[in-house]
Amino acid sequence: MKQIHRNKLLAVMELKWRALCSKNFILMPVFAIGFTFLMKLLYSTLADGGLTEGARAAALNSGVLMNISMTGIYGVCGALAEEKEKHTLRVLMTSSVNGLEFFLGSVIPVMGMLVAVNGILVAVAGAHMSAAQWGVYLLVSLLSAVASTVIGMIFGIFSKSQINASTVTLPAILVFMLIPTLADFSEVLKRISDFLFTGIMQNVITVIVKGEGTPFGITEVLIIVAETVLALVCFLVAYKKNGYDPD
Amino acid sequence: MKETYIRMEHISKAYGKNPVLKDLNANLAKGEILGFLGPSGAGKTTTIKILTGQLKPTSGTAYVLGIQVENIDETIYEQIGIVTDSSGIYERMSVYDNLKYFAKILSIEKGEIDQLLERVGLLDQKKQLAGKLSKGQTQRLILARAVLHKPRVLFLDEPTSGLDPATALEIHRLLLELKEEGMAIFLTTHNMEEATKLCDHVALLNDGQIVEYGTPKELCLRYNKEKRYRVLLESGETKELTQSNEDIAKLAQWLKNDEASSVHSCEPTLETVFLKVTGRELQ
Repeated sequence: MKQIHRNKLLAVMELKWRALCSKNFILMPVFAIGFTFLMKLLYSTLADGGLTEGARAAALNSGVLMNISMTGIYGVCGALAEEKEKHTLRVLMTSSVNGLEFFLGSVIPVMGMLVAVNGILVAVAGAHMSAAQWGVYLLVSLLSAVASTVIGMIFGIFSKSQINASTVTLPAILVFMLIPTLADFSEVLKRISDFLFTGIMQNVITVIVKGEGTPFGITEVLIIVAETVLALVCFLVAYKKNGYDPD
Repeated sequence: MKETYIRMEHISKAYGKNPVLKDLNANLAKGEILGFLGPSGAGKTTTIKILTGQLKPTSGTAYVLGIQVENIDETIYEQIGIVTDSSGIYERMSVYDNLKYFAKILSIEKGEIDQLLERVGLLDQKKQLAGKLSKGQTQRLILARAVLHKPRVLFLDEPTSGLDPATALEIHRLLLELKEEGMAIFLTTHNMEEATKLCDHVALLNDGQIVEYGTPKELCLRYNKEKRYRVLLESGETKELTQSNEDIAKLAQWLKNDEASSVHSCEPTLETVFLKVTGRELQ
């Protein structure tokens, strides 16, 4: 097990945070917030000003799915691809930063941003949550953020440039975002959605905002954990074979 | 006897059946500059990648600061600095910030950054975006980053390639200073003048093989078998003479008649040595 040096981890996190705040990446969470606001406005117009809890849940879901899938997967993958494109990855890795420090430094800022934006989205959607519900919501947000950022790292290994990163991550983003979005229209999609961390996130939000019973059980937790573990194993296999850059 | 920092023992590297490096042997001691000279594609960058643990040799081995290259991990980078052919700077950050993050990674006091910027002549540009620097300034920033932690060994891959003569001279001055301070420098270049001026030892690399090794002076003398002289005549004509009886008689005649205004010996340069050894130009 590699040792983690606080100074190196913090330096990589700061570098990644700066990259995340650049116009290439910051548009995604901003877009998620804007989309939630638009959806809320749309539902409000359709309902003549009175918003049901179901409409608030739908507005929140659309933003959260976008945030977790797009910012989570592309935010990590694109930032890694940018490091390769600008040749800074090699410089970092030959300045005594180890693979684990780079991995954690890459995913933690994105995870932080995902959870924070998910929190903002609740206010934008106008959803009401008790303290306990907030706890559950943030916990599931965090678990989903871990899964999506690790998936982003896997795609990052195989992306040579930012353009390449947006191409390779698109199918995954569509799967994790669209299947839960369209789950209400098809039983098959609903079944698949129930086994995706984004689908579980959506179910939890719906239950919390509508105030319908227990938001999630052990099965849902196990599914998210299993998907995260699977993503980690895939990442480790890819990393072992290629490092962060197959070239 | 100076401490040996790099020892290469029969290093070979092949990609599939395509050999890139063949049986390289060379040493670099503390406070010395070793030049690896050769044309593009000769294997210079591959050699640096092997010595810095970024590539594994196919056979043979090398020791850098006593550590076998196959066992190199990230801790070695606290003792070595690398300047590669690709810049690797954070263009959207200031010159100062580019160094600040690496200072943090390498546990260097921030106060040392300004001193270093002054030394490389970039103190006035410290707040400027790194992406807006000229090529020469960028190269000085890269060099500053590589020596920020005062490494014991510095690897430089074509550090003055494409730079104007004044900036190249400035880089040379810095490298000689670092050498004086005891840093061992591994330099790849295809600039023979640079190698002659800076290097204690040079290895001429052709098709992945060291075809000659020694001090620049030794190599030039080794290939100075057919002594030649250049004579400038009063008429403005320049003649090149050998040591043949006929040419000696000619020279004597010109001197006697006061027709020769100057006579110079023509020692081979590293460039001509390389041409003689490999039959190909360097550029």
